[in-house]
Amino acid sequence: MIEALLAFAAVFVLALLRIPLAFAMGFVGFVGLGLMRGWGPTAAAAAQVVYDTGFAYTLSVVPLFILMGNFVARAGLAHELFRAAYAFIGHFRGGLAHATVLACAGFGAICGSSIATAATMAKVAYPSMKKLGYSDYLSTGVIAAGGTLGIMIPPSTIMVIYGIVTETNIGKLFAAGVLPGLLCAALMMCGVAWITWRDPAAGPAGERSTWPQRWRALRDIWGVVLLVIVVLGGIYGGVFTATEGAGIGASGAFFFALLRGALPPKVLLQVLVESARTTAMLFTILIAAMMFSNFINFTSMPGDLRQGITHLGLSPLMVVGAMMVVYVLLGTIMEELSMVLLTIPVFFPIVTQLGFDPVWFGVLIVLVVQIGLISPPVGMNLFVLNALLDGVTLKQIFRGVWLFVVTLVIALAVVLELPWLALWLPGFMK
Amino acid sequence: MKRLLDALCGLLAGVALFAIMALTLVDVLGRKLLSQSVPGSLELTEILMVVVIFAAMPLVSLHGEHVVFDSLDPLLSPRLRRVQQVLVDGLCCAALAGLAWLMWDKAAAMASYGDTTAQLKLPLGPFVQLMSVLCGVTALVHGLLMLRPTRHHIVGLDEPGQPTPPAGGAT
Repeated sequence: MIEALLAFAAVFVLALLRIPLAFAMGFVGFVGLGLMRGWGPTAAAAAQVVYDTGFAYTLSVVPLFILMGNFVARAGLAHELFRAAYAFIGHFRGGLAHATVLACAGFGAICGSSIATAATMAKVAYPSMKKLGYSDYLSTGVIAAGGTLGIMIPPSTIMVIYGIVTETNIGKLFAAGVLPGLLCAALMMCGVAWITWRDPAAGPAGERSTWPQRWRALRDIWGVVLLVIVVLGGIYGGVFTATEGAGIGASGAFFFALLRGALPPKVLLQVLVESARTTAMLFTILIAAMMFSNFINFTSMPGDLRQGITHLGLSPLMVVGAMMVVYVLLGTIMEELSMVLLTIPVFFPIVTQLGFDPVWFGVLIVLVVQIGLISPPVGMNLFVLNALLDGVTLKQIFRGVWLFVVTLVIALAVVLELPWLALWLPGFMK
Repeated sequence: MKRLLDALCGLLAGVALFAIMALTLVDVLGRKLLSQSVPGSLELTEILMVVVIFAAMPLVSLHGEHVVFDSLDPLLSPRLRRVQQVLVDGLCCAALAGLAWLMWDKAAAMASYGDTTAQLKLPLGPFVQLMSVLCGVTALVHGLLMLRPTRHHIVGLDEPGQPTPPAGGAT
């Protein structure tokens, strides 16, 4: 137990010294295991982890979904989604902000990254809101929050990674994200309504569209609908595996972007290289996290914690609730993926031991990642918006996003209390 | 040097990623429509994955895209930060060099056993050697960064004020 606690402390200290988290985790895992088992076997085990993670067919699902998201971001599908949502609800107070949430939810169904969703929507929705005189705090807050729908509504990179490290069925995780994703979107729209009720000038109403305009706008989103039906329908219906679905989705998104003239050779190469770089960054953390968890599993910590919890007689739900509190607090300052990978070896065995469904816990993990991505002071979505939008200060973004952090915390509490929200849809899968 | 590395590794990783995508598409279509899959598609994907990950790794280091905890940066003086960066890159360089060495050993062992892939009987040794070499290149990148530091950030913006295109981050 002590050695594992020391290891966690060491990772944090090394990270504070600005050593990349992947290197900190890998280094501590290696040294820890080396001290306990001897250096020869540890070196062999490290080489094996690198080899296994490199030569892994199922892991190709990760770059393929990243690639799909990046192609989709270039293909301009977000414009049509936003226009369609606007045509239906743009004439309400705060209508553009509501439309942004809906468009984000739609975009989330073809993109598995929160950052890509927020960045894409920033380009599409922010200029329209600016033109109509929306306050920056409302427009940036809603884009940052809406972006996180990208990882709850399937496909989702973080679900894929959770599925890989915990050996949970990725298709079931995807299905589980649908209802909680819609819940998040609904709560965000409540948040928008609350803001525009308190401060009507923040989000004036837009023009009302006619019904023919609405139908035309709706027809224009056929590309998105097609991709969703083929990829998610295919995975959900068992036509193909998540990995194959990712390949089909990436190919589909590639052809969309190509046919729309959005992919000259130079841009194509740029998208490919960016996706490869994101993949490499992610696999560095993944490999390091596996080395670290190899060490943690060798210590007595997972067993001790399990015993301690049974001993204290805490209610199972309280234990998971406590974990969520830890995650939300850690998420305000830590990078979310490393946070999850660092804690999974300790938390996951406890959760399964308590008899909870790993799929449900996966959805909770996605929710805390969502919260972490938009909670100041360190939230990646906020930084991306700050970098992309000229003339918007981080302070304004912070001001606007707080309410949405609260709405997501409410969503977390709801899914914690009502597990069927996550587990109902996957229940129909074999 | 930086440009050459960007171009070479970028091309290698990018083409390999595109090949995985195309291979998966052809394989699935072939199996569903013609009931004929691409022979050895699984192991080809695995080999291409190695190329994608390890060819892009030097670039991640070169562009400072590793996840770092940089909230304490404003507290340090520029001088101290410079020293810190040299130490950090030194450690990363050493760790990756060690890893390159381990993988080289593993490659040699696998080559001596004559390990091959299951279906196509491709020898595995050379690919593990490739992993080792690219780890070595990444170590070299960190070595060079020690001499000439770049700014490291978490969002992967290369030039200040120049927004990246919506690259999908990990999350």
